[in-house]
Amino acid sequence: MSAPAAIHAAARAPAAQGASDRGILFDGVGVTFGSLTVMGPVTLEVRPGEFLVVIGPSGCGKSTLLNLVAGTLRPTIGTVHYHGKLVSGPNSDVGYITQKNYCLPWRTVEENVKLPLEFRGYSRRDMDERAARVIRQVGLAGFEKHFPKQLSGGMLQRVMIARTLAYEPATYLMDEPFASLDAMLRMRMHHDLMALWQATGATFMFVTHDLHEAITLADRVVVMSGRPGKIKLVQEIDLPRPRNIVDAQSDPRFSAYFRTLWQALDAH
Amino acid sequence: MPSPQPNFFQRNALNLARLGMLAAFLIVWEVASNRFDAAFWVSSPTAIVDALKRWYEEGNLVADTRATLLEAGTGFVIGSLAGALLGFFLGWIRRLGDLLEPFVLAIYTLPKVALAPLFVLWFGIGLLNKVMFSALLVFFMVFFTTFQGARQVDQEVVTNARLLGAGRFQIWQKIALPFAAVWVFTGLRIGLPYALIGAIVGEFVAANTGVGYRIKEATAFFDTASVFAGLVVLMAISSTFLAILKLVERRALRWQSTDQAATAIATEAKAN
Repeated sequence: MSAPAAIHAAARAPAAQGASDRGILFDGVGVTFGSLTVMGPVTLEVRPGEFLVVIGPSGCGKSTLLNLVAGTLRPTIGTVHYHGKLVSGPNSDVGYITQKNYCLPWRTVEENVKLPLEFRGYSRRDMDERAARVIRQVGLAGFEKHFPKQLSGGMLQRVMIARTLAYEPATYLMDEPFASLDAMLRMRMHHDLMALWQATGATFMFVTHDLHEAITLADRVVVMSGRPGKIKLVQEIDLPRPRNIVDAQSDPRFSAYFRTLWQALDAH
Repeated sequence: MPSPQPNFFQRNALNLARLGMLAAFLIVWEVASNRFDAAFWVSSPTAIVDALKRWYEEGNLVADTRATLLEAGTGFVIGSLAGALLGFFLGWIRRLGDLLEPFVLAIYTLPKVALAPLFVLWFGIGLLNKVMFSALLVFFMVFFTTFQGARQVDQEVVTNARLLGAGRFQIWQKIALPFAAVWVFTGLRIGLPYALIGAIVGEFVAANTGVGYRIKEATAFFDTASVFAGLVVLMAISSTFLAILKLVERRALRWQSTDQAATAIATEAKAN
Protein backbone atom coordinates (compact mmCIF):
# COMPACT_ATOMS: atom_id res chain seq x y z
CA MET A 1 0.00 0.00 0.00
CA SER A 2 2.51 2.50 -1.21
CA ALA A 3 0.31 5.50 -1.82
CA PRO A 4 -2.78 5.11 0.30
CA ALA A 5 -3.20 8.85 0.73
CA ALA A 6 -4.03 9.08 -2.94
CA ILE A 7 -6.82 6.52 -2.60
CA HIS A 8 -8.83 8.07 0.12
CA ALA A 9 -9.43 11.75 -0.16
CA ALA A 10 -10.72 12.01 3.38
CA ALA A 11 -7.93 13.02 5.71
CA ARG A 12 -7.95 11.39 9.09
CA ALA A 13 -9.56 13.50 11.78
CA PRO A 14 -8.95 12.61 15.41
CA ALA A 15 -11.36 9.87 16.50
CA ALA A 16 -14.45 11.75 17.58
CA GLN A 17 -15.88 10.72 20.90
CA GLY A 18 -19.50 9.86 21.52
CA ALA A 19 -20.72 10.33 17.96
CA SER A 20 -22.67 7.09 18.16
CA ASP A 21 -24.50 7.72 14.89
CA ARG A 22 -21.20 6.99 13.17
CA GLY A 23 -19.92 4.39 15.59
CA ILE A 24 -20.78 0.80 16.38
CA LEU A 25 -22.71 0.05 19.54
CA PHE A 26 -23.01 -3.35 21.23
CA ASP A 27 -25.74 -3.14 23.83
CA GLY A 28 -25.98 -6.10 26.21
CA VAL A 29 -25.23 -8.51 23.39
CA GLY A 30 -25.08 -12.24 24.04
CA VAL A 31 -24.87 -15.20 21.68
CA THR A 32 -26.03 -18.69 22.55
CA PHE A 33 -25.91 -21.79 20.36
CA GLY A 34 -28.33 -24.29 21.87
CA SER A 35 -27.23 -24.66 25.47
CA LEU A 36 -23.76 -23.23 24.80
CA THR A 37 -23.29 -19.58 25.68
CA VAL A 38 -20.49 -18.41 23.43
CA MET A 39 -20.39 -14.77 24.34
CA GLY A 40 -21.82 -12.08 26.49
CA PRO A 41 -23.43 -10.10 27.65
CA VAL A 42 -21.14 -7.50 26.10
CA THR A 43 -21.64 -3.76 26.02
CA LEU A 44 -19.12 -1.82 23.98
CA GLU A 45 -18.96 1.27 21.85
CA VAL A 46 -16.57 1.37 18.92
CA ARG A 47 -15.73 5.00 18.24
CA PRO A 48 -15.92 6.24 14.68
CA GLY A 49 -12.51 6.13 13.06
CA GLU A 50 -10.74 4.29 15.81
CA PHE A 51 -8.52 1.25 15.50
CA LEU A 52 -9.95 -1.24 17.97
CA VAL A 53 -8.21 -4.54 18.54
CA VAL A 54 -9.93 -7.46 20.25
CA ILE A 55 -7.79 -10.12 21.90
CA GLY A 56 -8.67 -13.14 23.98
CA PRO A 57 -8.26 -16.91 24.19
CA SER A 58 -9.54 -19.16 21.42
CA GLY A 59 -13.29 -19.68 21.37
CA CYS A 60 -14.08 -16.57 23.43
CA GLY A 61 -16.29 -15.02 20.78
CA LYS A 62 -13.85 -12.54 19.25
CA SER A 63 -14.96 -13.45 15.76
CA THR A 64 -18.54 -13.48 16.97
CA LEU A 65 -18.26 -9.74 17.65
CA LEU A 66 -17.26 -9.16 14.03
CA ASN A 67 -19.99 -11.44 12.68
CA LEU A 68 -22.55 -9.42 14.61
CA VAL A 69 -21.37 -6.18 13.00
CA ALA A 70 -21.32 -7.84 9.57
CA GLY A 71 -24.86 -9.05 10.19
CA THR A 72 -24.03 -12.64 9.35
CA LEU A 73 -25.01 -13.64 12.88
CA ARG A 74 -27.92 -12.43 15.00
CA PRO A 75 -27.48 -11.85 18.71
CA THR A 76 -29.53 -14.06 21.02
CA ILE A 77 -29.99 -11.14 23.39
CA GLY A 78 -29.23 -7.44 23.07
CA THR A 79 -28.76 -5.29 19.99
CA VAL A 80 -26.00 -4.12 17.67
CA HIS A 81 -26.28 -0.70 16.08
CA TYR A 82 -24.10 0.29 13.17
CA HIS A 83 -23.98 4.01 12.38
CA GLY A 84 -27.14 4.43 14.38
CA LYS A 85 -29.06 1.67 12.55
CA LEU A 86 -29.96 -1.71 13.97
CA VAL A 87 -28.02 -4.48 12.23
CA SER A 88 -30.56 -7.02 11.01
CA GLY A 89 -29.00 -8.58 7.91
CA PRO A 90 -25.77 -8.68 5.90
CA ASN A 91 -24.15 -5.27 6.28
CA SER A 92 -22.57 -4.20 3.01
CA ASP A 93 -21.07 -1.06 4.58
CA VAL A 94 -18.30 -3.14 6.06
CA GLY A 95 -15.32 -4.86 4.55
CA TYR A 96 -14.79 -8.22 6.19
CA ILE A 97 -11.43 -9.91 5.88
CA THR A 98 -10.87 -13.31 7.46
CA GLN A 99 -8.31 -16.04 6.96
CA LYS A 100 -10.74 -17.80 4.67
CA ASN A 101 -10.37 -17.39 0.99
CA TYR A 102 -13.59 -16.46 -0.77
CA CYS A 103 -12.03 -16.05 -4.20
CA LEU A 104 -14.22 -17.30 -7.00
CA PRO A 105 -12.07 -19.94 -8.72
CA TRP A 106 -13.36 -19.15 -12.20
CA ARG A 107 -12.35 -15.51 -11.99
CA THR A 108 -8.85 -14.16 -12.39
CA VAL A 109 -7.23 -12.06 -9.66
CA GLU A 110 -8.34 -8.92 -11.42
CA GLU A 111 -11.89 -10.16 -11.90
CA ASN A 112 -12.11 -11.22 -8.27
CA VAL A 113 -11.02 -7.78 -7.14
CA LYS A 114 -13.63 -6.21 -9.38
CA LEU A 115 -16.45 -8.37 -8.00
CA PRO A 116 -17.65 -5.94 -5.29
CA LEU A 117 -17.32 -3.08 -7.78
CA GLU A 118 -19.56 -4.94 -10.23
CA PHE A 119 -22.07 -5.54 -7.45
CA ARG A 120 -22.00 -1.87 -6.62
CA GLY A 121 -22.43 -0.71 -10.19
CA TYR A 122 -19.13 1.07 -10.78
CA SER A 123 -18.32 2.14 -14.32
CA ARG A 124 -15.92 0.01 -16.31
CA ARG A 125 -13.23 2.68 -16.28
CA ASP A 126 -13.56 3.17 -12.56
CA MET A 127 -13.28 -0.57 -12.00
CA ASP A 128 -10.17 -0.92 -14.14
CA GLU A 129 -8.50 1.96 -12.39
CA ARG A 130 -9.34 0.86 -8.86
CA ALA A 131 -8.46 -2.77 -9.48
CA ALA A 132 -5.07 -1.87 -10.92
CA ARG A 133 -4.36 0.39 -7.96
CA VAL A 134 -5.28 -1.99 -5.14
CA ILE A 135 -3.59 -4.94 -6.83
CA ARG A 136 -0.42 -2.89 -6.93
CA GLN A 137 -0.91 -1.93 -3.28
CA VAL A 138 -0.96 -5.51 -2.06
CA GLY A 139 2.02 -6.39 -4.23
CA LEU A 140 0.26 -8.57 -6.78
CA ALA A 141 1.09 -6.51 -9.86
CA GLY A 142 1.81 -8.93 -12.71
CA PHE A 143 -0.65 -11.50 -11.40
CA GLU A 144 -3.82 -9.80 -12.65
CA LYS A 145 -4.61 -12.56 -15.15
CA HIS A 146 -3.82 -15.48 -12.87
CA PHE A 147 -6.51 -17.76 -11.53
CA PRO A 148 -6.75 -18.50 -7.78
CA LYS A 149 -5.60 -22.10 -8.39
CA GLN A 150 -2.31 -20.68 -9.57
CA LEU A 151 -1.60 -18.66 -6.42
CA SER A 152 -0.12 -19.47 -3.03
CA GLY A 153 -2.05 -19.06 0.22
CA GLY A 154 -0.41 -15.76 1.08
CA MET A 155 -1.16 -14.39 -2.36
CA LEU A 156 -4.82 -15.41 -2.07
CA GLN A 157 -5.00 -13.60 1.25
CA ARG A 158 -3.71 -10.49 -0.44
CA VAL A 159 -6.36 -10.85 -3.16
CA MET A 160 -8.98 -10.84 -0.39
CA ILE A 161 -7.46 -7.67 1.06
CA ALA A 162 -7.28 -5.98 -2.33
CA ARG A 163 -10.90 -6.86 -3.00
CA THR A 164 -11.93 -5.13 0.21
CA LEU A 165 -9.75 -2.09 -0.36
CA ALA A 166 -11.26 -1.66 -3.81
CA TYR A 167 -14.65 -0.48 -2.55
CA GLU A 168 -13.36 1.60 0.36
CA PRO A 169 -15.73 0.40 3.09
CA ALA A 170 -16.42 2.72 6.02
CA THR A 171 -15.50 -0.04 8.46
CA TYR A 172 -12.95 -2.81 8.15
CA LEU A 173 -13.57 -5.99 10.12
CA MET A 174 -10.43 -8.06 10.23
CA ASP A 175 -10.27 -11.52 11.75
CA GLU A 176 -6.64 -12.55 12.08
CA PRO A 177 -6.07 -11.51 8.50
CA PHE A 178 -2.32 -11.96 8.57
CA ALA A 179 -2.18 -15.29 10.38
CA SER A 180 -1.26 -17.16 7.20
CA LEU A 181 1.47 -14.74 6.14
CA ASP A 182 5.13 -15.15 6.95
CA ALA A 183 6.73 -12.84 9.54
CA MET A 184 8.34 -10.50 7.01
CA LEU A 185 5.22 -10.00 4.96
CA ARG A 186 3.22 -9.63 8.13
CA MET A 187 5.34 -6.70 9.26
CA ARG A 188 5.00 -5.10 5.89
CA MET A 189 1.24 -5.55 6.05
CA HIS A 190 1.21 -3.95 9.52
CA HIS A 191 3.05 -1.00 8.16
CA ASP A 192 0.73 -0.69 5.18
CA LEU A 193 -2.32 -1.12 7.38
CA MET A 194 -1.21 1.77 9.58
CA ALA A 195 -0.75 3.91 6.49
CA LEU A 196 -4.20 2.90 5.22
CA TRP A 197 -5.83 3.67 8.55
CA GLN A 198 -4.03 6.98 8.69
CA ALA A 199 -5.19 7.97 5.23
CA THR A 200 -8.84 6.97 5.55
CA GLY A 201 -11.54 7.93 7.98
CA ALA A 202 -12.39 4.26 8.32
CA THR A 203 -13.06 2.42 11.57
CA PHE A 204 -11.15 -0.79 12.16
CA MET A 205 -12.12 -3.77 14.32
CA PHE A 206 -9.24 -6.17 14.33
CA VAL A 207 -9.21 -9.58 16.00
CA THR A 208 -5.97 -11.30 16.90
CA HIS A 209 -4.38 -13.35 19.62
CA ASP A 210 -0.99 -11.83 19.04
CA LEU A 211 -0.24 -9.25 21.74
CA HIS A 212 2.51 -7.55 19.76
CA GLU A 213 0.22 -7.11 16.81
CA ALA A 214 -2.49 -5.74 19.11
CA ILE A 215 -0.37 -3.06 20.77
CA THR A 216 1.39 -2.10 17.55
CA LEU A 217 -1.85 -1.34 15.75
CA ALA A 218 -4.45 -0.31 18.30
CA ASP A 219 -5.98 2.84 19.69
CA ARG A 220 -7.72 0.62 22.19
CA VAL A 221 -7.35 -3.05 23.01
CA VAL A 222 -10.34 -5.01 24.29
CA VAL A 223 -9.37 -8.11 26.29
CA MET A 224 -11.98 -10.84 26.37
CA SER A 225 -12.27 -13.70 28.85
CA GLY A 226 -12.65 -17.36 27.97
CA ARG A 227 -16.07 -18.78 27.12
CA PRO A 228 -18.55 -17.28 27.63
CA GLY A 229 -16.60 -14.31 26.30
CA LYS A 230 -16.99 -11.13 28.28
CA ILE A 231 -14.98 -7.93 28.30
CA LYS A 232 -12.29 -8.08 30.97
CA LEU A 233 -10.35 -4.96 30.20
CA VAL A 234 -10.41 -2.07 27.76
CA GLN A 235 -6.93 -0.59 27.46
CA GLU A 236 -6.19 2.70 25.69
CA ILE A 237 -2.90 2.47 23.81
CA ASP A 238 -1.30 5.89 24.10
CA LEU A 239 1.53 5.56 21.61
CA PRO A 240 2.24 8.39 19.19
CA ARG A 241 0.40 8.64 15.84
CA PRO A 242 1.24 8.38 13.05
CA ARG A 243 2.79 5.27 14.40
CA ASN A 244 5.95 3.69 13.09
CA ILE A 245 5.72 -0.02 13.85
CA VAL A 246 9.41 -0.32 14.70
CA ASP A 247 9.57 2.74 16.93
CA ALA A 248 6.35 1.73 18.67
CA GLN A 249 7.86 -1.55 19.79
CA SER A 250 10.89 0.13 21.34
CA ASP A 251 8.77 2.64 23.28
CA PRO A 252 9.00 1.92 27.05
CA ARG A 253 5.21 2.13 27.29
CA PHE A 254 4.97 -0.77 24.84
CA SER A 255 6.31 -3.27 27.37
CA ALA A 256 4.14 -1.79 30.10
CA TYR A 257 1.07 -2.34 27.93
CA PHE A 258 2.30 -5.79 27.11
CA ARG A 259 2.52 -6.67 30.80
CA THR A 260 -0.93 -5.23 31.58
CA LEU A 261 -2.59 -7.08 28.73
CA TRP A 262 -0.74 -10.29 29.43
CA GLN A 263 -1.91 -10.23 33.04
CA ALA A 264 -5.47 -9.54 31.98
CA LEU A 265 -5.34 -12.48 29.57
CA ASP A 266 -3.66 -14.79 32.04
CA ALA A 267 -5.83 -14.16 35.13
CA HIS A 268 -8.84 -16.47 35.17
CA MET B 1 23.57 -38.72 -22.18
CA PRO B 2 19.98 -37.99 -23.28
CA SER B 3 19.66 -35.46 -26.08
CA PRO B 4 18.05 -32.18 -24.93
CA GLN B 5 15.59 -32.18 -27.84
CA PRO B 6 13.48 -35.37 -27.67
CA ASN B 7 13.14 -36.95 -31.11
CA PHE B 8 9.90 -37.98 -32.79
CA PHE B 9 9.75 -41.38 -31.09
CA GLN B 10 10.44 -40.01 -27.63
CA ARG B 11 7.79 -37.34 -27.97
CA ASN B 12 5.11 -39.76 -29.15
CA ALA B 13 6.12 -42.81 -27.12
CA LEU B 14 2.72 -43.19 -25.48
CA ASN B 15 0.71 -42.88 -28.69
CA LEU B 16 3.08 -45.18 -30.56
CA ALA B 17 2.70 -47.79 -27.83
CA ARG B 18 -1.08 -47.49 -28.12
CA LEU B 19 -0.92 -47.84 -31.89
CA GLY B 20 1.28 -50.92 -31.51
CA MET B 21 -1.17 -52.51 -29.10
CA LEU B 22 -4.07 -51.86 -31.44
CA ALA B 23 -2.21 -53.37 -34.39
CA ALA B 24 -1.26 -56.44 -32.36
CA PHE B 25 -4.84 -56.87 -31.23
CA LEU B 26 -6.18 -56.66 -34.80
CA ILE B 27 -3.60 -59.15 -36.07
CA VAL B 28 -4.34 -61.64 -33.27
CA TRP B 29 -8.06 -61.22 -33.95
CA GLU B 30 -7.62 -61.86 -37.67
CA VAL B 31 -5.32 -64.84 -37.24
CA ALA B 32 -7.29 -66.44 -34.41
CA SER B 33 -10.55 -65.99 -36.22
CA ASN B 34 -9.22 -67.91 -39.25
CA ARG B 35 -7.22 -70.45 -37.28
CA PHE B 36 -10.10 -71.50 -35.01
CA ASP B 37 -12.79 -70.98 -37.65
CA ALA B 38 -14.63 -68.60 -35.31
CA ALA B 39 -15.65 -65.98 -37.88
CA PHE B 40 -19.31 -66.80 -37.27
CA TRP B 41 -18.99 -65.65 -33.65
CA VAL B 42 -16.40 -62.90 -33.65
CA SER B 43 -16.02 -62.08 -37.35
CA SER B 44 -12.59 -60.70 -38.32
CA PRO B 45 -11.09 -57.29 -39.05
CA THR B 46 -10.91 -57.87 -42.81
CA ALA B 47 -14.49 -59.14 -42.92
CA ILE B 48 -15.59 -56.05 -40.98
CA VAL B 49 -13.83 -53.75 -43.42
CA ASP B 50 -15.56 -55.60 -46.26
CA ALA B 51 -18.92 -55.23 -44.53
CA LEU B 52 -18.31 -51.52 -44.08
CA LYS B 53 -17.43 -51.19 -47.76
CA ARG B 54 -20.57 -53.09 -48.78
CA TRP B 55 -22.65 -50.97 -46.42
CA TYR B 56 -21.25 -47.84 -48.01
CA GLU B 57 -21.68 -49.07 -51.58
CA GLU B 58 -25.32 -49.98 -50.95
CA GLY B 59 -25.74 -46.30 -50.07
CA ASN B 60 -27.02 -46.98 -46.58
CA LEU B 61 -23.97 -46.15 -44.46
CA VAL B 62 -24.30 -42.40 -44.86
CA ALA B 63 -28.09 -42.43 -44.48
CA ASP B 64 -27.98 -44.68 -41.39
CA THR B 65 -25.21 -42.70 -39.75
CA ARG B 66 -27.01 -39.46 -40.48
CA ALA B 67 -30.23 -40.77 -38.96
CA THR B 68 -28.54 -41.96 -35.79
CA LEU B 69 -26.49 -38.77 -35.49
CA LEU B 70 -29.59 -36.64 -35.91
CA GLU B 71 -31.53 -38.61 -33.29
CA ALA B 72 -28.72 -38.66 -30.75
CA GLY B 73 -27.63 -35.07 -31.42
CA THR B 74 -31.09 -33.54 -31.17
CA GLY B 75 -31.87 -35.68 -28.15
CA PHE B 76 -28.64 -34.60 -26.50
CA VAL B 77 -29.33 -30.91 -27.02
CA ILE B 78 -32.94 -31.09 -25.82
CA GLY B 79 -32.12 -33.37 -22.90
CA SER B 80 -29.16 -31.37 -21.64
CA LEU B 81 -30.90 -28.01 -21.95
CA ALA B 82 -33.93 -29.23 -20.03
CA GLY B 83 -31.80 -31.11 -17.50
CA ALA B 84 -29.44 -28.20 -16.82
CA LEU B 85 -32.23 -25.64 -16.45
CA LEU B 86 -34.50 -27.73 -14.27
CA GLY B 87 -31.60 -29.15 -12.25
CA PHE B 88 -30.32 -25.67 -11.53
CA PHE B 89 -33.68 -24.27 -10.47
CA LEU B 90 -34.61 -27.18 -8.23
CA GLY B 91 -31.13 -27.33 -6.77
CA TRP B 92 -30.85 -23.62 -6.11
CA ILE B 93 -34.36 -23.10 -4.74
CA ARG B 94 -33.62 -25.28 -1.77
CA ARG B 95 -37.11 -25.71 -0.44
CA LEU B 96 -38.53 -26.75 -3.78
CA GLY B 97 -35.67 -29.19 -4.20
CA ASP B 98 -36.32 -30.69 -0.76
CA LEU B 99 -40.00 -31.05 -1.61
CA LEU B 100 -39.43 -32.84 -4.91
CA GLU B 101 -36.32 -34.85 -4.11
CA PRO B 102 -38.03 -38.20 -3.30
CA PHE B 103 -40.04 -38.08 -6.52
CA VAL B 104 -37.01 -37.22 -8.56
CA LEU B 105 -35.11 -40.10 -6.94
CA ALA B 106 -37.95 -42.53 -7.62
CA ILE B 107 -37.94 -41.67 -11.31
CA TYR B 108 -34.15 -41.75 -11.40
CA THR B 109 -33.94 -45.32 -10.11
CA LEU B 110 -36.39 -46.51 -12.76
CA PRO B 111 -34.52 -48.37 -15.56
CA LYS B 112 -35.40 -45.91 -18.29
CA VAL B 113 -34.87 -48.42 -21.07
CA ALA B 114 -38.12 -49.99 -19.89
CA LEU B 115 -39.89 -46.87 -21.11
CA ALA B 116 -38.89 -47.47 -24.73
CA PRO B 117 -42.08 -49.36 -25.71
CA LEU B 118 -44.19 -46.65 -24.09
CA PHE B 119 -42.38 -44.04 -26.16
CA VAL B 120 -43.35 -45.92 -29.32
CA LEU B 121 -46.95 -45.55 -28.22
CA TRP B 122 -46.54 -41.86 -27.49
CA PHE B 123 -44.28 -40.70 -30.28
CA GLY B 124 -44.73 -43.30 -33.00
CA ILE B 125 -41.97 -45.22 -34.76
CA GLY B 126 -40.36 -42.30 -36.59
CA LEU B 127 -37.54 -39.92 -35.78
CA LEU B 128 -39.40 -38.20 -32.95
CA ASN B 129 -39.55 -41.35 -30.87
CA LYS B 130 -35.77 -41.79 -30.87
CA VAL B 131 -35.11 -38.11 -30.28
CA MET B 132 -37.40 -38.06 -27.27
CA PHE B 133 -36.03 -41.26 -25.84
CA SER B 134 -32.47 -40.08 -26.24
CA ALA B 135 -33.42 -36.72 -24.69
CA LEU B 136 -35.00 -38.50 -21.72
CA LEU B 137 -31.86 -40.48 -20.91
CA VAL B 138 -29.62 -37.44 -21.27
CA PHE B 139 -32.01 -35.30 -19.27
CA PHE B 140 -31.68 -37.46 -16.20
CA MET B 141 -27.92 -37.55 -16.28
CA VAL B 142 -27.56 -33.79 -16.68
CA PHE B 143 -30.44 -33.01 -14.37
CA PHE B 144 -28.99 -35.04 -11.54
CA THR B 145 -25.47 -33.74 -11.61
CA THR B 146 -26.68 -30.14 -11.97
CA PHE B 147 -29.23 -30.62 -9.20
CA GLN B 148 -26.58 -31.94 -6.82
CA GLY B 149 -24.12 -29.28 -7.92
CA ALA B 150 -26.47 -26.35 -7.44
CA ARG B 151 -27.27 -27.59 -3.94
CA GLN B 152 -23.59 -27.51 -3.11
CA VAL B 153 -23.04 -23.82 -3.80
CA ASP B 154 -21.01 -22.72 -0.80
CA GLN B 155 -23.35 -20.72 1.42
CA GLU B 156 -20.40 -18.93 3.01
CA VAL B 157 -19.38 -17.62 -0.39
CA VAL B 158 -22.93 -16.43 -0.93
CA THR B 159 -22.95 -14.64 2.43
CA ASN B 160 -19.60 -13.10 1.62
CA ALA B 161 -20.98 -11.86 -1.70
CA ARG B 162 -23.86 -10.19 0.10
CA LEU B 163 -21.35 -8.33 2.29
CA LEU B 164 -19.61 -7.28 -0.92
CA GLY B 165 -22.90 -5.71 -1.96
CA ALA B 166 -24.51 -8.38 -4.14
CA GLY B 167 -28.25 -8.38 -4.71
CA ARG B 168 -30.28 -11.54 -5.17
CA PHE B 169 -30.04 -11.52 -8.95
CA GLN B 170 -26.32 -10.81 -8.91
CA ILE B 171 -25.73 -13.81 -6.66
CA TRP B 172 -27.49 -15.94 -9.24
CA GLN B 173 -25.71 -14.45 -12.14
CA LYS B 174 -22.19 -14.16 -10.81
CA ILE B 175 -21.95 -16.93 -8.20
CA ALA B 176 -24.54 -19.67 -8.57
CA LEU B 177 -24.63 -20.02 -12.35
CA PRO B 178 -20.87 -20.18 -12.92
CA PHE B 179 -20.57 -22.54 -9.99
CA ALA B 180 -23.18 -24.83 -11.46
CA ALA B 181 -21.48 -24.72 -14.87
CA VAL B 182 -18.82 -27.15 -13.67
CA TRP B 183 -21.52 -29.62 -12.75
CA VAL B 184 -23.41 -29.09 -15.96
CA PHE B 185 -20.29 -30.09 -17.86
CA THR B 186 -19.84 -33.15 -15.71
CA GLY B 187 -23.45 -34.04 -16.47
CA LEU B 188 -22.91 -33.48 -20.18
CA ARG B 189 -19.91 -35.77 -20.18
CA ILE B 190 -21.84 -38.50 -18.39
CA GLY B 191 -24.94 -37.88 -20.49
CA LEU B 192 -23.25 -37.97 -23.88
CA PRO B 193 -23.04 -41.77 -24.27
CA TYR B 194 -26.66 -41.96 -23.16
CA ALA B 195 -27.69 -39.88 -26.14
CA LEU B 196 -26.41 -42.68 -28.36
CA ILE B 197 -27.87 -45.39 -26.15
CA GLY B 198 -31.25 -43.70 -26.43
CA ALA B 199 -31.07 -43.51 -30.19
CA ILE B 200 -29.87 -47.10 -30.58
CA VAL B 201 -32.41 -48.60 -28.19
CA GLY B 202 -35.10 -46.61 -29.97
CA GLU B 203 -33.93 -48.08 -33.26
CA PHE B 204 -33.89 -51.57 -31.81
CA VAL B 205 -37.47 -51.26 -30.71
CA ALA B 206 -38.93 -49.88 -33.89
CA ALA B 207 -37.24 -48.32 -36.92
CA ASN B 208 -36.50 -48.65 -40.60
CA THR B 209 -33.23 -46.76 -40.68
CA GLY B 210 -30.25 -45.98 -38.47
CA VAL B 211 -27.13 -47.78 -37.25
CA GLY B 212 -29.07 -49.56 -34.50
CA TYR B 213 -31.62 -50.80 -37.01
CA ARG B 214 -28.79 -52.09 -39.24
CA ILE B 215 -27.21 -53.97 -36.32
CA LYS B 216 -30.51 -55.59 -35.42
CA GLU B 217 -31.17 -56.54 -39.02
CA ALA B 218 -27.69 -58.01 -39.48
CA THR B 219 -28.10 -60.07 -36.31
CA ALA B 220 -31.31 -61.52 -37.69
CA PHE B 221 -29.34 -62.74 -40.73
CA PHE B 222 -26.43 -63.99 -38.57
CA ASP B 223 -24.24 -61.47 -40.42
CA THR B 224 -21.67 -60.98 -37.64
CA ALA B 225 -19.32 -58.85 -39.75
CA SER B 226 -22.08 -56.29 -40.34
CA VAL B 227 -22.93 -56.24 -36.64
CA PHE B 228 -19.31 -55.41 -35.87
CA ALA B 229 -19.29 -52.84 -38.64
CA GLY B 230 -22.21 -51.14 -36.90
CA LEU B 231 -20.31 -51.17 -33.61
CA VAL B 232 -17.28 -49.60 -35.28
CA VAL B 233 -19.44 -46.78 -36.62
CA LEU B 234 -20.97 -46.23 -33.19
CA MET B 235 -17.55 -46.12 -31.60
CA ALA B 236 -16.42 -43.52 -34.13
CA ILE B 237 -19.52 -41.40 -33.49
CA SER B 238 -19.19 -41.40 -29.70
CA SER B 239 -15.44 -40.74 -29.79
CA THR B 240 -16.02 -37.74 -32.03
CA PHE B 241 -18.76 -36.42 -29.75
CA LEU B 242 -16.56 -36.76 -26.70
CA ALA B 243 -13.61 -35.05 -28.36
CA ILE B 244 -15.80 -32.07 -29.29
CA LEU B 245 -17.20 -31.86 -25.77
CA LYS B 246 -13.75 -31.97 -24.22
CA LEU B 247 -12.63 -29.15 -26.47
CA VAL B 248 -15.59 -26.98 -25.46
CA GLU B 249 -15.10 -27.85 -21.81
CA ARG B 250 -11.44 -26.99 -21.85
CA ARG B 251 -12.27 -23.54 -23.15
CA ALA B 252 -15.18 -22.92 -20.79
CA LEU B 253 -13.47 -24.22 -17.66
CA ARG B 254 -10.04 -22.79 -18.38
CA TRP B 255 -9.71 -21.69 -14.76
CA GLN B 256 -9.66 -25.26 -13.51
CA SER B 257 -6.32 -26.08 -15.04
CA THR B 258 -3.47 -26.16 -12.60
CA ASP B 259 -0.73 -26.25 -15.19
CA GLN B 260 0.60 -22.82 -14.41
CA ALA B 261 0.36 -22.90 -10.61
CA ALA B 262 3.96 -23.84 -10.08
CA THR B 263 5.14 -21.26 -12.59
CA ALA B 264 3.20 -18.50 -10.83
CA ILE B 265 4.72 -19.21 -7.45
CA ALA B 266 8.17 -19.49 -8.94
CA THR B 267 7.67 -16.15 -10.70
CA GLU B 268 6.70 -14.53 -7.45
CA ALA B 269 9.64 -15.98 -5.59
CA LYS B 270 11.87 -14.43 -8.24
CA ALA B 271 10.07 -11.08 -8.11
CA ASN B 272 10.48 -10.78 -4.35
